[in-house]
Amino acid sequence: MRSTKRTPKSSAKPTTSFTAPTWILLSFTILLPLLYGVYLSFLNVNLSSFAPTKFIGLDNYRLALSAPETYSTFITTIQLMVIGLVIQIPLGIFLAVTLHQNLKGSRFFRSVLIVPMLLTPVAVGLIFRFMFDTDIGIINWALSLIGSDGYNWLGARTSALIAIVIVDSWQSVPFVMLLVVAALATIPTSIYEAALVDGANKFQVFFRITLPLIVPTLLVLTMIKIMDFLKLFDTLFILTRGGPGNDTTTLGLWTYKTGFVFLEMSRAAALGVIILFITMPVYFLWRKSAKSVR
Amino acid sequence: MAKISKECAMKIKLDKVASYSILLVAVFFSMFPIFWTISTSIKARVDTFTLPPKFFNFTPTWKNYQLLFELDGFWRIYANTIFITLATTALCLIIGSLAAYSLARTEKFRGRSALEILMIIVRALPGIVIILPLYNLSTYFGLYDRAWALILIYTGFNIPFAIWLMTNFFDQVPTEIEDAARVDGASNMQLFTKVLIPLVTPGLVATGVFVALLSWNEFLIPVIMAGESSKTMPILVSSFISNRTLDWGPMAAAATVALLPIIIFTIAIQKWLVVGLSGGAVKE
Repeated sequence: MRSTKRTPKSSAKPTTSFTAPTWILLSFTILLPLLYGVYLSFLNVNLSSFAPTKFIGLDNYRLALSAPETYSTFITTIQLMVIGLVIQIPLGIFLAVTLHQNLKGSRFFRSVLIVPMLLTPVAVGLIFRFMFDTDIGIINWALSLIGSDGYNWLGARTSALIAIVIVDSWQSVPFVMLLVVAALATIPTSIYEAALVDGANKFQVFFRITLPLIVPTLLVLTMIKIMDFLKLFDTLFILTRGGPGNDTTTLGLWTYKTGFVFLEMSRAAALGVIILFITMPVYFLWRKSAKSVR
Repeated sequence: MAKISKECAMKIKLDKVASYSILLVAVFFSMFPIFWTISTSIKARVDTFTLPPKFFNFTPTWKNYQLLFELDGFWRIYANTIFITLATTALCLIIGSLAAYSLARTEKFRGRSALEILMIIVRALPGIVIILPLYNLSTYFGLYDRAWALILIYTGFNIPFAIWLMTNFFDQVPTEIEDAARVDGASNMQLFTKVLIPLVTPGLVATGVFVALLSWNEFLIPVIMAGESSKTMPILVSSFISNRTLDWGPMAAAATVALLPIIIFTIAIQKWLVVGLSGGAVKE
């Protein structure tokens, strides 16, 4: 029998030293900016003014929390998130279940259907902006075929929000589909056979067997999508830039505008800290849901 | 009995027809915008502005591409994006695989939970919250508009995901192999480079593909941290929206040029892609 005794040196598992390069990198690119952001939020930095930099305590927070935009953009973020989740998760499951039947060519269909999720969001935003165009857009033309007048899609709040969700869904539904396909593959077929013998119909099989079994995956997916909607920037920036007015501005985009349009760096930093607190529950939930899948 | 089986066969056939119809409709919706971009990119200006739209009945032209390629700095921007993408991918893989190895193999070590929390923060926090102070700091450190700074920032933003993905792959390697090598007196570094890396190469490729995609597509970091000299493709593409000339042809050409490498890439490395995109959940 082979001895399992090891010398102390070689039995040391890889630890802190192996993570050192990552720590150095993250310290400079993530941690330092975050801490500097907190510091910045207590100052009065405004790139358009020549006022000397000074410490102004919680003034930026007071201003940020009393501004109506902080609340309206937060609500917009949540609205986009809710509409997006309600559309993307069921649609993704639906496509995944359709793909999962082992039809001939399902691998080909999967390959084609995941292409949108890989594409540059900025380019995707441009393409859809062209397609949503009021006068020459193909979407309004298609609607005219069925007798609709078409919309000024990006010109009003509700239709613009719908357009944003459509564009995001075009890229996100394939992702949901892909993860659900992976989850479905882990369900043993014997379960289905038993159900069919018992005379269960398709809907019963789906709601009583499939759905409960993929709940852990759905939780992780929901978490990922919540984070993605908090981060939503590229397509939003290209499609509406938060307009008309601030009607489709999310909290993240509002922070960008405060900092890089109004040049109120300190106030934007305060908004950043507020966002950090708002997203706090997400971190804990993510750790929990990620563990439940493993 | 025979009747029932006939009915059954009928039903299965109907099911199949329904499934294929659903999939074909889905394929149409996912492919149409891509088709429309490419077709717009080879249309003359008049053909873009006509209704009903011209799907195939137009004379293709390369004029939009000529305009795009003649843009000041186009090739420099393209090359710069490729360079930043490759460098970021390499850094993420080299630095990230070391960290992923420790996370996969050592249950508890100093700084483990701190690292995990930091990784989740990067994943969940809107990038602007980090980039905005970074932009303000950049004036002190001379980071603005430098390709190497962009590479480091891209790496910082993408490495948590790369580590998470690679940890899954290291987890799948049985520990017995390492134990045997350890008995022979191999150090952790030797184990890592000689034993583990060859075993997780498929995982590393999948991770690399994913990081490369994210870097190629990255917009928020360069829109704030890149000026004229380190501009990337997404910035160039987005610049077509700011000038109000509504010239969709060159815009579609720019979008096509940004998307084409991805589409070709996708077809070429299909297998790795599915593994990487699903976070290691799908195994081929």
